[in-house]
Amino acid sequence: MKQIFLVLRREYMTRVKKKSFLLATILTPLIFPALIALVVFFGSRESSEVESVYVLDKSGFYNEKFTDDSYSYTYLSGDLEAAKEQFQDEGAYGLLYIPEINFDDASITYYDEFEFYSKSNTGVNIENSFERQLRVVLEQVKLDRSGLDPGVINSLKASVNLNTYNLSDTGEVKESNSNLNLIVGYVFGFLIYMFIFIYGGQIMQSVLDEKTSRIVEVIVSSVRPFQLMMGKVLGIGSVGVTQLLIWVALMTTLTTVGFSIFGPSASADMVSSQMPAEAAVEMTKTQEQIANIQNLLDSVPIVTIVVSFICYYLGAYFLYGAMYAAIGSAVDSLQDAQQFMFPIMIPLIVSIVSLSMVIQNPDSQLSFWLSMIPFTSPVVMMGRIPFGVPLWELLLSMALLVAGFVFMIWVAGRIYRVGILMYGVKVNWKTLKVWFTTKV
Amino acid sequence: MNILEAHNVTKEYAAHKALDDVSIEIPKQSIFGLLGPNGAGKTTLIRIINQIIMSDAGNITINGEKLEPKHIQVIGYLPEERGLYKKMKVGEQLMYLAQLKGLSNSEARKRIKHWLDKMGLTEWSGKKVEDLSKGMAQKIQFIATVMHEPELLILDEPFSGFDPVNANLIKDEIFELREKGATVIFSTHRMESVEQLCDDIVLINKSKKILDGTKKEIKKSYKSGKYTIIYKGTLAGLSNNYDLLETKPLEDEMSESLIQTKVDQNPNEVLKELISKIEVHSFVEVIPSINDIFIQIVEGGQS
Repeated sequence: MKQIFLVLRREYMTRVKKKSFLLATILTPLIFPALIALVVFFGSRESSEVESVYVLDKSGFYNEKFTDDSYSYTYLSGDLEAAKEQFQDEGAYGLLYIPEINFDDASITYYDEFEFYSKSNTGVNIENSFERQLRVVLEQVKLDRSGLDPGVINSLKASVNLNTYNLSDTGEVKESNSNLNLIVGYVFGFLIYMFIFIYGGQIMQSVLDEKTSRIVEVIVSSVRPFQLMMGKVLGIGSVGVTQLLIWVALMTTLTTVGFSIFGPSASADMVSSQMPAEAAVEMTKTQEQIANIQNLLDSVPIVTIVVSFICYYLGAYFLYGAMYAAIGSAVDSLQDAQQFMFPIMIPLIVSIVSLSMVIQNPDSQLSFWLSMIPFTSPVVMMGRIPFGVPLWELLLSMALLVAGFVFMIWVAGRIYRVGILMYGVKVNWKTLKVWFTTKV
Repeated sequence: MNILEAHNVTKEYAAHKALDDVSIEIPKQSIFGLLGPNGAGKTTLIRIINQIIMSDAGNITINGEKLEPKHIQVIGYLPEERGLYKKMKVGEQLMYLAQLKGLSNSEARKRIKHWLDKMGLTEWSGKKVEDLSKGMAQKIQFIATVMHEPELLILDEPFSGFDPVNANLIKDEIFELREKGATVIFSTHRMESVEQLCDDIVLINKSKKILDGTKKEIKKSYKSGKYTIIYKGTLAGLSNNYDLLETKPLEDEMSESLIQTKVDQNPNEVLKELISKIEVHSFVEVIPSINDIFIQIVEGGQS
């Protein structure tokens, strides 16, 4: 045990002391706020430089009808060829061509003669936006011509918002929000996926480094190969846990600070002291919204999520970490490692791809089975948990995961102890099988 | 008293037998040569002694005790494939390796200082290994091997990759450690380096032990009864007990000849026979080198 601890400590200390670790640990929690700020920044910049779009309206119904501020509109007359030339010469963003439209036949509902020219490829959003604006005007004209009362038309429309609640066994009713569950499930599932790649890769790199620097035989004359492997896996795992804890601490602090500055109590004080009544009403609205958000947060089983996240993170890490260690021991370089990566990649990719289906349909057969198989259960189960998973399923899935990683560590240990002492051997799956079965 | 005894050690891999019923006895405080061509099974035997791998059959004792994990501390091992953590500082690295061998923190620090001073590397303690020259890294590697004062030092091809200056330095250290009570197992396929270092040797070829004993005895038993003589006069009319193998003329009417005794005779008897016929200026018994013996045995075994 002392040997494992010594190896663990070395792996841990050399990593934690690195500048790159410090940077990644402190900067990552700031990346998302920074990204949002960036988007907002560029969003506001774009609106300040409005590009111009020329409109050539042959129908006569669209004059001055485009009113959105995304573009400045210039209305042309003349024929299409001349308009195209003018558009080329003056460097406008786009040219919208509206043909003559025949409204006499009311049975025509499909119009496909509109044309839009631009220098760059038109995004789906821009296309949709123009289609919508064209349609609205068309519908308005058709409505006017039909002689129907617009009030009647409006009264025929309906819109629905479904309020969803969780009714627990104790009869307690909680408001639920499947969108929030969706996001929480996806984020935690993705975190596990990401951590496996980052820290699994580090295990492989570390094993490979010891092999290529030829220190491994010196080490295994003092430490059993299995102890070396476990010390390494545990040490790098501890780095991951440390990083996670720092992130949690940082984000909690950031959120708390954020709330104390923009949150309800601070604003309430300001309201009572100096704000006019109207603004106070606005503020109470915001307060209500914040209270709503907190209610929603309460509806997500946070404790269960955090506890299971830690369990699944560790389980997944051991399972895949053992595989990464075995691969690292078998090869002489990272390039050689590629051929063995697919048993790691495929279950992980299946997990992350099916995760989006799972959060849409957390109780389906697919979701159930994927959250039981140890290779996919960590990512998939994290997607299911926010929607509520029966305790027995959770326990069964975790038990299977534990059995899975114990088995995988055993297999990896057998390959590792032979592999680390092999140099310049052409390794394929058959070699690994031979190593696995050799007595050492 | 033997520090290490291996009895009937056998190790089989999937494709071939790496060691076949090998027994060796290593006397305390000797320098023991484990010799054999590449692939003979030397490294396998060493790895078994280091408990990196297990033998299929046979047993090994150290100081009369069955080989156990605790004996890791008794052994210092310099593998043929060796290296250090390139990104780790020299001092930290030695500390880590010392602790793995069971040294306490304070004891390790004391010995690291002692050895770095001795090798003149004290000011490199805070440098990363990748910043060291190859020779310095080799010295660090040697320090890591001997720092915990092992009773049994196992050096696998210790001089491969060492420059001549460092090789001599290491040789001196090896002798010094032996004086202090250490036993050295010295594994190599380069027989020349064995001649001057080893007291006892074992020869392994194709996973089998083919010869062992003290270097002196082995050489004695492989004496071929050949003598090189330099003389004035004509060597003729030798008795039937001798064969004249070759003669070549030298300057000043001198000649050099190689003669072979056909019956067991001591050098005095040979000399007597010669003096009666020629004026002897030089008389040397041809003693086979370990390399010659090795080639003789291996080729003899094949034919």
